[in-house]
Amino acid sequence: MPDSTTTMQTPQRRDLLQIGMGAMAACYAAALGYPVYRYLATPAVRSRLESEITSVAIPQNHLPDAGAATMFLFGTRPAMLIHHNDGTWVAFDAVCTHLGCTVGYQPDKHRIFCPCHGGTYDARSGDVVAGPPPRGLKPYHVEVSDGHVIVSRA
Amino acid sequence: MATSSFPGPDAGARVCDERGGFCRWIDERLGVSALVELARHKSVPQHKHSFWYYWGGISLLFFIVQLFTGILLLSYYRPGKEAYDSVRQITYDVDFGWLIRSAHSWSANLMVFAVFTHMFSVLFMKAYRKPREFGWWSGLMLLGVVMLFGFSGYLLPMDLLAYFATKVGLQIPSSIPGVSGLVSDLIRGGEQVGEATVQRFFALHAVILPMIFLPLLGFHLYLVQKHGNAVPPGEAARPESGRRTIPFFPNFLAQDLAMWLIALNVVTILATLFPWDLGKPADPLASAPAGIHPEWYFMSQFQLLKVVGRWIPGYLGEITGVTLFGAVTVFLALIPLFDPQTKTGNRGRLTAWLGALILGGMIVLTIWGYAAL
Amino acid sequence: MNYPTWDVPIIGSVWVIGLIAIFHVMISQFAVGGGLYLALAELKARREGRLDWMEVIRRHSKFFLVVTGVFGTVSGVGIWFAIGLASPESTSALIHNFVFGWAMEWCFFLVEIATATVYYYTWDRVDPKTHQNLAWLYAGTSFCTLVIINGILSFMLTPGSAWLSVAGTGQEASRFWQAFFNPTYWPSLALRSLVCSSLAGVWALITASQIEGPALKAEVLRWSTRWLMPSFVLMPLAFLWYLSAVPENSRHLMQSGVSTIGSGLFTQVTRAILVTGMTSATILAIVYFLAWRNPRDFNLGHAISVLFLALAATGATEHAREMIRKPFTVSEYIYSDGVRRSQLAGLNQVGYSTASPWKNAMPEGELMFRGQCMNCHTVDGYRSMRRLMNGRDRKAIGNMLTVLHETPDSSPYKHFMPPLAGTKPEIEALGDYLDNLVNKSPAVVVQYSKVTP
Repeated sequence: MPDSTTTMQTPQRRDLLQIGMGAMAACYAAALGYPVYRYLATPAVRSRLESEITSVAIPQNHLPDAGAATMFLFGTRPAMLIHHNDGTWVAFDAVCTHLGCTVGYQPDKHRIFCPCHGGTYDARSGDVVAGPPPRGLKPYHVEVSDGHVIVSRA
Repeated sequence: MATSSFPGPDAGARVCDERGGFCRWIDERLGVSALVELARHKSVPQHKHSFWYYWGGISLLFFIVQLFTGILLLSYYRPGKEAYDSVRQITYDVDFGWLIRSAHSWSANLMVFAVFTHMFSVLFMKAYRKPREFGWWSGLMLLGVVMLFGFSGYLLPMDLLAYFATKVGLQIPSSIPGVSGLVSDLIRGGEQVGEATVQRFFALHAVILPMIFLPLLGFHLYLVQKHGNAVPPGEAARPESGRRTIPFFPNFLAQDLAMWLIALNVVTILATLFPWDLGKPADPLASAPAGIHPEWYFMSQFQLLKVVGRWIPGYLGEITGVTLFGAVTVFLALIPLFDPQTKTGNRGRLTAWLGALILGGMIVLTIWGYAAL
Repeated sequence: MNYPTWDVPIIGSVWVIGLIAIFHVMISQFAVGGGLYLALAELKARREGRLDWMEVIRRHSKFFLVVTGVFGTVSGVGIWFAIGLASPESTSALIHNFVFGWAMEWCFFLVEIATATVYYYTWDRVDPKTHQNLAWLYAGTSFCTLVIINGILSFMLTPGSAWLSVAGTGQEASRFWQAFFNPTYWPSLALRSLVCSSLAGVWALITASQIEGPALKAEVLRWSTRWLMPSFVLMPLAFLWYLSAVPENSRHLMQSGVSTIGSGLFTQVTRAILVTGMTSATILAIVYFLAWRNPRDFNLGHAISVLFLALAATGATEHAREMIRKPFTVSEYIYSDGVRRSQLAGLNQVGYSTASPWKNAMPEGELMFRGQCMNCHTVDGYRSMRRLMNGRDRKAIGNMLTVLHETPDSSPYKHFMPPLAGTKPEIEALGDYLDNLVNKSPAVVVQYSKVTP
């Protein structure tokens, strides 16, 4: 029950005051909740910053032999670097375009395969060959110079 | 005396008269207004000792802070092998992680302090007498759970301090006759404090203890609602006309919430200005830091064991120490039966003196414990 | 550099200034706001013929006179002593620049204090109009003292490009007004005026909560809480305005405590701002729910709690304001250790100790430490040198001093520490001194610390 000294105010003024106080309280609650928001949002914010990476240098000891592939992280996303038998290098984003599983290279079948639902991609172009994926794997640009490999956004 | 008379069948309607249709719609389905009517009839005694009525609520506030910050910490804490690193991340990497963690640590200490204050004020105001005995017993159990919360939580960062303080602290149960050996190993998850210990302390801290605490707390609060605030004997002896009460709603509630706000500020200011640091990672091969000791609320037991062990060395000394705690705990539990309302009041005075002795002893032992480090 | 630095144990010379200044601000801003409070309260009381109100105001004015006239004045003078001993170079620069401003200030103070005394002691002894005019006179002169000191304080953070262009030339007085009405002057004045109004309300709660009659108590309490209301809406806005005017480095310092509390990373400002936010929101809640809606239950204990919360908010904000000026005491002109920016190159050439009159009074390393470190650090107390350097061997100390001397872009210390001045031998000597302090002194270094002061 509000105090009897509210006779000083008209009903409209009291409502306005209450709404005003409610709004102020909401603002302050938001301000105090801000640290909690920042706390919970940290990983999302950080990974968004990380995904702004534009190129990755693959270390020497990570480079695959001819006919093999290696997995690495491009920013926060898994990626794949393939060293073909004819000496060419290609790289793709390794997240399957169907439902997000990480794809793998099958050297014996010369194809990129997704174990989740059988999606199959071409190992040179990344195009979909068979299965449910709606589109191909995103290719990266690969630069090779005297033993070093740099993968960057195409 | 209690003033909790249940409202009549049409009491709810009056509540919604001022507020209109939406209130009535909710009330016809949930019957909330009956509770509001109940709250309106509640009153709280006003006398010179009324200040102590706040401390149960303050303990509850600190528990709510623990629940909230604890759940937030769960987003990043990893028990087991990565415990230290996850706490390092929280403290030095995640935005405001240091604030959430420091609030949790400070509120833990403040909660223990508040619960002890609450317990001793109930003791001295004799609010354990009929019909409130179960309130007292559930309260003692809650105190025990709170101290276990503190002990289990303390290990979780797995820095040097946590590690050695837990090692030292585990000496207390291992000195209980029959407990040492197998039971200690079960508590620790091995012969040494390690990864397994952190894992099971975490399960204890985040799942098992809350599962015990929450229903017990619910029971305790239900009893407080049922019986109302106790009036201390000195006040009860006054004539009816000399006694003042204030309505629970909104007067006492407003004051209660103001106390909560102040308590919340104390936690925030302490957490912000004196944030909790993280020491070096736990290393079983390192020597214990000089002056290692458990947290302050275990210091009196720690010091008691030390002192008794000095006078009575060996196994006998350990048993004596443990028996002393046991005796105090049993006495506390039996107080409602020892000191019911009597005509002469001798038991009452004796209880008050013994209570003062226990409180004084705990304070003296704690200070002595720190001085003797 | 004229002094080898005032060595205050545990709290450091900085906190002597801090404690006196925070105490002073709590009272002086009460004086400014409270003066207007008394004037308006008396106006209302006379218009409505309320003798009961007049009695309350009279009691409040006595409280006011004692608090502001005694504690306000003493602490104000106390600030002079403290800053003169702790930072003589910076104080000297301020005096040289603003002596005219301070002269005005003292005139206003004289009138202000005399008026307050006359106001109280002529109660019921002069006619109502005169008494009311005394109140207005007090309110006006008091506000003028705020107007002036605000110019000097805000100058320290943002001297403004006009003044900086003549700094050190001897022609500084020609830019007196530009320096006075500098970029942070107006937002700062807005913020402080709002604080004055709020503190008027907060201090009034002390008197109002003690009124005997419940109806009168409720009335006066509610009238007093109105003094806090504008602030809660306008202060955040004024703060945003202030934020837009402060230097870039200051905004950086405000954020450096968000993700970490790492020792040596200057996280105080973020934390101080959090304390301000929390305590302000609490004051709003207590004042609204208790003082405004349940005035009959508002007692002296509550009023004192609000006062302490206001003290926490004020102290935190003043502390933050001082900290965001780092590494300067006058931005872009004088560093915290009293070295002028323009002198830096010269000192690196000829040596830091050549400029000190204490050159032969102590070893070189100690002279460097006292002159350049002790303005902000103590050995074992506040910002303890021993604690901060703990774990570094002689080589690591040397590396750190090199970073402080060369201030590369990657150095995080650039944001809050002055560049280390001196020749290579002097810096080596400092390194040896610190090594001795940290690694070879008998004082016990705490192995682990639970809480970072």
